Amino acid sequence: MKKKINIKESFIYGLIGIATLFTIGILVFILGFIFSKGLPHVDLYFLTSQFDSTSAYVDVKLSEGSQNPLGLILEETTIKEKGSKEKKVIVIKEIEDTSLVEDAINNKGKPLALSEKDIINRVNGINVEGKSVEEVNQILNNVNKDTVTMRITKQGGGIFPMIVTTLMMIGLSLLFSVPIGVFAAIYLVEYAKPGKFVNLVRFATESLAGIPSIIYGLFGMILFVMTLNLGYSLLAGALTLSIILLPVIIRQTEESLKAVPDSYREASFGLGANKIYTITRVVLPTAVPGIVVAIILSIGRIIGESAALLLTAGTAAKIPGSLLESGSTLTVKAYTVAKEEANIELASAIGSVIIITIIVLNALSKFISKKFTKI
Amino acid sequence: MEKDMKLDKKNELKEKLAHYLFLFNATVAIISVAAIAFFVFYRGLQPFIPGNAEGNYNLIDFLSGLEWRPSLGKFGILYMIVGSLLATFGAIILGVPVGILTAIFIAELAPKWAKKIIKPAVEMLAGIPSVLYGLFGLGVIVPWIMQISPQAQGQSLLAVIIVLMIMILPTVITITESAINSVPDAYREGSFGLGATKLYTIFKVVLPAAKSGILAGVVLGIGRAIGETMAVMLVAGNPIAGLPKSIFSPIRPLTTNIAMEMSYAFGLHQEMLFATGVVLFVFIILINLILSRITRGSVLK
Repeated sequence: MKKKINIKESFIYGLIGIATLFTIGILVFILGFIFSKGLPHVDLYFLTSQFDSTSAYVDVKLSEGSQNPLGLILEETTIKEKGSKEKKVIVIKEIEDTSLVEDAINNKGKPLALSEKDIINRVNGINVEGKSVEEVNQILNNVNKDTVTMRITKQGGGIFPMIVTTLMMIGLSLLFSVPIGVFAAIYLVEYAKPGKFVNLVRFATESLAGIPSIIYGLFGMILFVMTLNLGYSLLAGALTLSIILLPVIIRQTEESLKAVPDSYREASFGLGANKIYTITRVVLPTAVPGIVVAIILSIGRIIGESAALLLTAGTAAKIPGSLLESGSTLTVKAYTVAKEEANIELASAIGSVIIITIIVLNALSKFISKKFTKI
Repeated sequence: MEKDMKLDKKNELKEKLAHYLFLFNATVAIISVAAIAFFVFYRGLQPFIPGNAEGNYNLIDFLSGLEWRPSLGKFGILYMIVGSLLATFGAIILGVPVGILTAIFIAELAPKWAKKIIKPAVEMLAGIPSVLYGLFGLGVIVPWIMQISPQAQGQSLLAVIIVLMIMILPTVITITESAINSVPDAYREGSFGLGATKLYTIFKVVLPAAKSGILAGVVLGIGRAIGETMAVMLVAGNPIAGLPKSIFSPIRPLTTNIAMEMSYAFGLHQEMLFATGVVLFVFIILINLILSRITRGSVLK
């Protein structure tokens, strides 16, 4: 019989095609939007600088240089201050090899290296804001001591603290949740007999997977931040995250433990090994790739998490000095920048970094599972 | 001989310890669920229990109020419940057909090379953090709505619906696809054998057989939409009062009410935010109950 494609059928085929194109198109659109707005702002400076600008007085030893005795090549730029007032300032464009500004010392006697893009506010007490490069060079050339005291401003605008906080959050949450998740999976696969308890654990992990992150945030806030008095902190955030991660880790590890052939266990028992030896020396090593995939998926989840962290870890834009200090991850910062400062460019720049990381993680987990399931 | 016995005893102890260690960790998930339910309900119900230290609030006023003015002591969330439900409903109406049709394409029609592009794309869509969906909404959808809207701002029910619709797509697509894939080929062959066309087979044989799996995907999508916070917060407008009058009206979903004010709320205000969480949690529990009803005896398993 000949296939007949009538008008109605081609209409439905058309709808299916449109739906699929929409799905792909929207992804391309979202990625295109975030990359086009954000990528131009992403450079080494963006990744390695502080978020907030900071000012300090520093002492710098003079040296030989082409423009001035500091060995600095300066330039004029305008910066936007908060309240959108524009200001003309002198910034460091380049640091010559002979320069000693990287050994500068602040007024507390601690080293504070100057770097490119730093603003020079004052030289030996003279305000240089609004002055031209020539005027500033002249002031520097007239210095007759061997050190200069300058007030400088590190511009900020970078995301280094958030990168560090995100890494700390990843490490800490995995530290809690990976042992718990893996041990739980070992119990479910290697010890438990099917029955009420296993069903209960399964029900619990399914429920955990279905709870939205804002509820986790509420819970974390009530228990960790308030009841246990941890405050908005790295620790409260990581504890909350580790519960969020449990379902992923338990499920993935269970899968990979189940994939270990029973003959391995039987062979081990047959050689006289006991259960714990069999698990730690035979079963777990075989299941390692699966556990690694679980960890990579968890890292993706931590990087993407925001609502739960907003309520437990807070929004401080500094590297937390201790487990009890607040710190915001990249994603939380992307939110506060978008919401409170309405700065879509900066939020997209952070978003670009997040998306690239997630693409790399996805590829990595694919690679690992492909490589090891071929055995 | 005696030494062997000792070693055996030691090993036995080790085995037992290990057993209990693993058992304990398996209970952590159960403890967590119980703790989450307990703490959220316990703190969230305080304002409605007479003699609460931070003051009391009438439960009926809370659930039927159309104003949220913490400074005046008014905590009504009916307009938020309505906003949340309308947004979820709209997202499902738009997102489910698109999701199911895309899943049909992936599972039944796509050549291998197309699958290789579409499946990772769907995974990527699922992996984008919700903040970035919100950013996209704020940067693209809100300005676009501003051009066609009679209202002064683009942040609106419509913006929330569009963002949520995109966000539920990966959930609906992946679950529908696996439901379609689990329909045995014999069904398709039987249908072809009777002379049915490919499309007829898909819509009249395969989809009905995959019904409960698809439904599970829809319900999961509802759960994701109603619980979504950060993306929605950026595009909803979050007014302090009033039911939405049209799709261009701003809304204030339950989730954003919690996230927006929690950082500076204290006393009764904070407890009313916890109470908002209880209402949201009740919705989530209902959705999960429906879900477990559906997945019991479904083709998914």
